[in-house]
Amino acid sequence: MRKRYPLLAGVAAIAVLALSACAPEAPPAATSTSTAKAGTDTLNIATTTDVVNYNPLVGNSRSDYWVSNLMYPHLLSMNEDGDRIPEVATDWGYVDETTGFYEIRDDMKWSDGEPLTAEDVAYTLNATKKDKPAGTLYGQLANMDSAEAVSKTRVEMKLSKPDASIVEGIGFWGNIVPQHVFEKAGSVAEFANDGSDGGWVSAGPFVLTKVQVGQSYTMDRVEDYPIVKGGTPIPAKVVYRVYPDVNAEILALQSGAVDAIANALPPAQVEQLKNTAGIKVEESTGLGYAHMTYNMDNPDLAKVEVRQALAHAADYDAIRKVVLQGQAVSTGSSPLMEVHGDYYDKSIKEYDFDVDKSRSLMEKAGYTADANGNFPVSFRLIYSLQDSVTSQWVQLVKDSAAKAGITIELQGTERNTYLAMTNAGDYDIYAGNFAIMEDPVTNMVLSYLPGGAINYTHVDDPELNDLINTASTSADEKERVKLMREAAQIVHEKVYDNIMYSQQLYFAHSDKWTGFVSKPSELLSIVNPVSLASASKTAK
Amino acid sequence: MTAPIPEAALEPIPEPIATGGSRASRATWRAFRKQPLGLLSLAILGILILISIAAPLLAPYPASYGTDVLKPPGGGYPLGTDALGRDLWGEIVWGTQQSVLVAVAASAIAIAFGTLVAVLGAYIPKLDAVIGVVVDLTLSLPVLPLMILVAALVGPSTSTIILVVAAFSWPEVTRIVRSQALAVVKLPYIDAARLMTRNHLWIIGRHVVPAVAPVIVVSVVVTASRAVLSAAGLAFLGLGDPTTWSWGRILYEAQASGAMVSAWWLTLFPSLAILALVLSATLLSIAYNDARNPRNHDR
Repeated sequence: MRKRYPLLAGVAAIAVLALSACAPEAPPAATSTSTAKAGTDTLNIATTTDVVNYNPLVGNSRSDYWVSNLMYPHLLSMNEDGDRIPEVATDWGYVDETTGFYEIRDDMKWSDGEPLTAEDVAYTLNATKKDKPAGTLYGQLANMDSAEAVSKTRVEMKLSKPDASIVEGIGFWGNIVPQHVFEKAGSVAEFANDGSDGGWVSAGPFVLTKVQVGQSYTMDRVEDYPIVKGGTPIPAKVVYRVYPDVNAEILALQSGAVDAIANALPPAQVEQLKNTAGIKVEESTGLGYAHMTYNMDNPDLAKVEVRQALAHAADYDAIRKVVLQGQAVSTGSSPLMEVHGDYYDKSIKEYDFDVDKSRSLMEKAGYTADANGNFPVSFRLIYSLQDSVTSQWVQLVKDSAAKAGITIELQGTERNTYLAMTNAGDYDIYAGNFAIMEDPVTNMVLSYLPGGAINYTHVDDPELNDLINTASTSADEKERVKLMREAAQIVHEKVYDNIMYSQQLYFAHSDKWTGFVSKPSELLSIVNPVSLASASKTAK
Repeated sequence: MTAPIPEAALEPIPEPIATGGSRASRATWRAFRKQPLGLLSLAILGILILISIAAPLLAPYPASYGTDVLKPPGGGYPLGTDALGRDLWGEIVWGTQQSVLVAVAASAIAIAFGTLVAVLGAYIPKLDAVIGVVVDLTLSLPVLPLMILVAALVGPSTSTIILVVAAFSWPEVTRIVRSQALAVVKLPYIDAARLMTRNHLWIIGRHVVPAVAPVIVVSVVVTASRAVLSAAGLAFLGLGDPTTWSWGRILYEAQASGAMVSAWWLTLFPSLAILALVLSATLLSIAYNDARNPRNHDR
């Protein structure tokens, strides 16, 4: 999934991206940095890609996100369990069915001394709505008409129709940008924000000061960052260093050239690094999932029995055990995961791996196996070659399906080709993953409603549509839970989606540093603003 | 990614050309036998070809996964296992098959096409100017980026790799063969042949091609080793056939899974295999080139 971002982001929302973060009230308690004071240390972090885009409102890659997240705060953040927590906003909710609001902190400042006010928030939302930058935030704004700063610390949004998840969605996915900087540029969709007119302006813990493309991105501390405990970030500088691949990153960490790796560790390296002296490995809960979807435009896959046969022809246990080295949990083949709390439905069980069942389902669907036991079907499965974990498990899927007499032809392609094929529906089976699926209702809207940005199954089931549409306008959490559980049952039973696992992520840093706050997903990981602002060198 | 063509292979050969006859080839063989490096290379190539043919007897096709992940060599796994617990020995054995196939197929295409173009150019002077320009143009293209571009656009598969490598290898062959053929077509016996028949194809087939055959042999070996390097390079960049085992794919998967740092065996053994094939092919072509030079024959 390494870089699915740009595309989906443009489209819609949530789904893919990750977020950003900062937890105001999340004092990095676990990490005992209470004694650490703002010092003179430089924290070096390895990343695999260059920053290509400095405008946080436009779709972005990993490095873009990591760097812009340290400069442009979000209204809401997320804690380790996936719950939304305050960041710039202190309170949020609905005035009435079609009006949402945020109350924001009054002590935030941009690094050039200008205060961060409700005007900046309203400007960000309105400008994004108007200029349509290809980023995640724009996708969240579908039901927002306009935003208005009703006071210095309160923003209200007019909605075009009731939407129970929009306030948290926007708060979580959108970065706030400085009106006095971005406004001058005209369209926020076209503003490069590359610092060419006198550098960057930040309301995060660090501000970008020096860029050496292909090598490093140096960020200096912003003295006044009230969201972190103590009010001042501890490291004097954060330097993102570019290493071409994860092997080089690990070597750099081992040699001491960097102090942390921003990317998640490959599953096969986790145990090894846990046992390496001088290196600490932090765990973060998986908030996304990996899945396969079956394109119902294919007449064979339009038959529910065929989809069920495929679902029973994959050895999910082996995939989690071997490819993910046990660093993943089953969601019970359901889009509702344990981290979704009340939404999670234990009664939905994972499809069991049973090739005989697959065969009888294929026969039930009207197919007859030839002398070799093969059914006259062949499905083309697409995946991104840049996604090493998926590239590995699709081989297992192919081999186990062959045992059930179903031919799967693997088509691994370079990432951009894969994204283009995904968007064009040019596949029979799609394999991929999403970093964060934090809101069940929004996820289902995007995944299973006709025309949904990530409806890769191309499903249009009236019963399912009704459930999702009702849930998305319902203000009653209990009712939403009930509707989503019913929807998940249908998705599971009719195999509109085949969720395979939710991966635990691991991040490595040098034991010379402590105080990192690990958050869900690779985008937040240990490089979220609060984490980096709280990190300190261990006393020697 | 491209092996330098041995100097000797590039020079037009001024010596009398061996136009067949078993005496010349026997002399060449006698000279060749005296070169231990050449014989060793021949043996290594022979072993690799044998491995590729006998792959099913040597190791079962690598399973989709195994439970012993990243085990070092030893204890049931002579060369260790990869990040999915698959036996590296099996991967290398089956990878040999793909590498040899790419080497043979890509060089066969490049040689056939390259020789045809070269001989036609040499034989028909009007065509020669055009061919010369096309060859020079193709040779001046940045080969690696173009290969990557084509492989990425067409999509990775063994046949793509073969065609891509062949498409960028034939001009080299044409250049070498053409320079030799130009010398040959001016020789008196070709003029004599022209007097005998107006069947140009017969002349080309019976007299010109056999005369340039020794350079073709050298080109075959060099092009083959270059094909293996290119295929391994493309596979390492993720542009190889992800469903067929090849040495490049082993390296690519080691890199992609982040196992390169800790599992030295995943990079060492496939690299040794590539080295063995390329080095022996290069040494063989040098040895053969020396051996067929009449100056080195016993008088």
